[in-house]
Amino acid sequence: MLENYLPIMVFIFLGIAFGVGPMLIGYLLGPSKPDEEKNSQFECGFPAFDDSRMYFNIRYYLVAILFILFDLEVAFVFPWAVVQSDLGWFGFIAMSVFLFLLVVGFVFEWKKGALEWE
Amino acid sequence: MMNTFQFDTALLLVALPEIFLLSSIVVILLVDLFLTKGFKQVTYYLTQFSLFITGLLAFNLIGHPETVIFSNSFVLDNMASVFKVFMMGATMVAMVYSRHYLTQHSLFRGEYFVLVLLSVLGMMVMVSGYSLLTLYLGLEILSLSLYTLIAIARERSGAIEAALKYFVLGAIASGLLLYGMSMIYGISGSLNISEISAFASDANLGSRETLIINFGLVFLVIGIAFKLGAVPFHMWVPDVYQGSPTSVTMFLSTVPKIAAVAMLVRILIDGLGAMHPYWSDLFMVLALLSIALGSVVALMQTNIKRMLAYSTISHVGFIMLGFVTGVVTGYGAATFYVLVYVFMSLAAFGIIILLNKKGFEADQISDYKGLSKHSPWFALMMLIVILSMAGVPPMLGFYSKFFILQQLVSAGFVTIAIIAVVFAVISAYYYLQIIKSMYFEDSEKEIVVSAPMDMKLILSINAILILVIGLFPDFWMKLALSLF
Amino acid sequence: MTFDQILFYVFSFWFIASSLAMIFSRNAAKAVLFLILSFFSAASIWILLEAEFLAITLILVYVGAVMVLFLFVIKMLNIDKSTLRAKFAGYLPLGLIVAAIIIAEMTLVLGGNQFGLDVVAAPARHAADYSNITVLAMQLYTTYVYPFELAAVLLLIAIIAAITLVHRNELNRKKQSISEQVNVQAKDRVRLVSINSPNKENK
Repeated sequence: MLENYLPIMVFIFLGIAFGVGPMLIGYLLGPSKPDEEKNSQFECGFPAFDDSRMYFNIRYYLVAILFILFDLEVAFVFPWAVVQSDLGWFGFIAMSVFLFLLVVGFVFEWKKGALEWE
Repeated sequence: MMNTFQFDTALLLVALPEIFLLSSIVVILLVDLFLTKGFKQVTYYLTQFSLFITGLLAFNLIGHPETVIFSNSFVLDNMASVFKVFMMGATMVAMVYSRHYLTQHSLFRGEYFVLVLLSVLGMMVMVSGYSLLTLYLGLEILSLSLYTLIAIARERSGAIEAALKYFVLGAIASGLLLYGMSMIYGISGSLNISEISAFASDANLGSRETLIINFGLVFLVIGIAFKLGAVPFHMWVPDVYQGSPTSVTMFLSTVPKIAAVAMLVRILIDGLGAMHPYWSDLFMVLALLSIALGSVVALMQTNIKRMLAYSTISHVGFIMLGFVTGVVTGYGAATFYVLVYVFMSLAAFGIIILLNKKGFEADQISDYKGLSKHSPWFALMMLIVILSMAGVPPMLGFYSKFFILQQLVSAGFVTIAIIAVVFAVISAYYYLQIIKSMYFEDSEKEIVVSAPMDMKLILSINAILILVIGLFPDFWMKLALSLF
Repeated sequence: MTFDQILFYVFSFWFIASSLAMIFSRNAAKAVLFLILSFFSAASIWILLEAEFLAITLILVYVGAVMVLFLFVIKMLNIDKSTLRAKFAGYLPLGLIVAAIIIAEMTLVLGGNQFGLDVVAAPARHAADYSNITVLAMQLYTTYVYPFELAAVLLLIAIIAAITLVHRNELNRKKQSISEQVNVQAKDRVRLVSINSPNKENK
């Protein structure tokens, strides 16, 4: 079975080579003469106003966690899609119950206004 | 690939209480979404109704022959049905009390009831769990709902702190439990409780297998002890009890204990009963530490919720002692104890909630000064509950302790029984403190009981039953014994 | 050494190295990136074990979603590094002792003596047309249908919990009303007002 994954592995190594290679070449061959002025931070030509870490609003968290939940749901649907013709009605009903519960969650989310921006 | 899987739909009837509860959760969740402001009480009544019907369905299944469905992952036996009926009853009572608290502190939200029902569903899954996987999933359904219930009072920093502590420690406990389960699965090759039992009780078990089972067993015991709140895994109990909204404290200190005991029975007795000599030693140490610490540290508390938390820890110690005996009657005594504990704890928290008003939590022991003058009836109810918790005859709490000690002595653990009695006597002191402040101290503050009639009625019945059942404990003891 | 084994050691090395880098990283954001690398190495090891579905799920769900959430959380929290580090030193000795005991016990119980190749035989490699997802799915939706539905309940609880705890019912919500948008007419959009300009006479 593993031989099927050989192209993917080759692809990964090529990807790493293409991504890391130019950076490495630039680092090795490019001239580098740092001084204090060059290394100092600046924003649009001014000294930095404050920390580059800006705090996100908690609302983004809600969006992210709802994304994860439905992402997980999809992870359960994939294998079902592969075998659903073998499973017959039983598998169909099992998946319907699963999706129904999540649709109820979705209705809750929608009606509560969690999908709207403030 | 051919599908050879067979599924008998008629067997689904065995899981009817769970199926009904899940369906009504969906209905309640949706109904609550479309309710306008004035009709929010509908959610409460629907919740009570669905709990009642679920309880009836579970009651109907008592006496049903033991059935295992869903490919050996769901079991219906008498213990499951009786526990489910008790859980429904206790949750209904808890909801009656909760409503007063929630309206007083403007926490009345539909999600509260939905989450309570979901946690009850998780507990039902645990009680009927017959594979490590379903037991764990039930536990997670229960725990996730409880974490959210605590944090639902999100304006209170204490509640958020409690939720976070409970969540972090609960997640660690779940991790340990899962690790232990993976060890058991790794060596026995099965998640199913009966197959694990067959594997563990095999006479030809090699030293390699025994070693690995024991390694997993330690983690399982730690995980269960965490969930029960036994010393030294009790750190979360006082903080969570104190920080949570009182209605949530009441709920999480009562009904989940039944589910935790059910999980204990499924894993350690049904599954690894053959390993009893190994885990009973661990239990003995945990139980004695719990009784000792719970009794001594409670003496220093001024917050009544915190005091009840330590009292719970020592009660848990007694429950665990029942499992140390290793005989069926001992397990029965422990089951009896947990049901009695739920009964008493509901009444105790009920009285705290009864005195709650907007902006007044009634969670200091000094808040109970002079209760006998302002409300003699409920002072009497509190007296019954407190005496029962302290184990004074003829209250129910006396018999639960008595049965445990009787089983311990007849199983030959006389020293342990004596130590337990000594600490029970010490613990009586802090219970008496409350009685003293209720009856022999006076406060200038007027205590007004503003609770609705239904709560007063249920609370009075709850407390009086502690006394009445205490006079005839045989039926309940026989019931508890018949479960094993 | 076979090619499989070489791959196993390469991925294991990256797994351990990135896990260590994650723990010792002083920058929380960098720690998350190292964690992604360690998840990726774990997924590679799973592929070597022929558990392809789990490997892909690990990358999809953990690398794709959970790590994004971690980055969000890091951006949301105001982590004061100095207080974190001050407590770290105090717990270090106890932590090291506990870690040493657990490692010793685990090697004793889970080491080569108990689970070595001479005790438990290595499973046979599957043929090229073997599909791990099919086998897993045939089990998941039949034998394990009950835990599968319970997983849906868990996800439902997570949705309810997230919304109950995070969502605020604020009034200034930017809500789209589709029916209003569709039914709008030109006369509602533009209002023509005739203004008497005071400068008119001076012209």
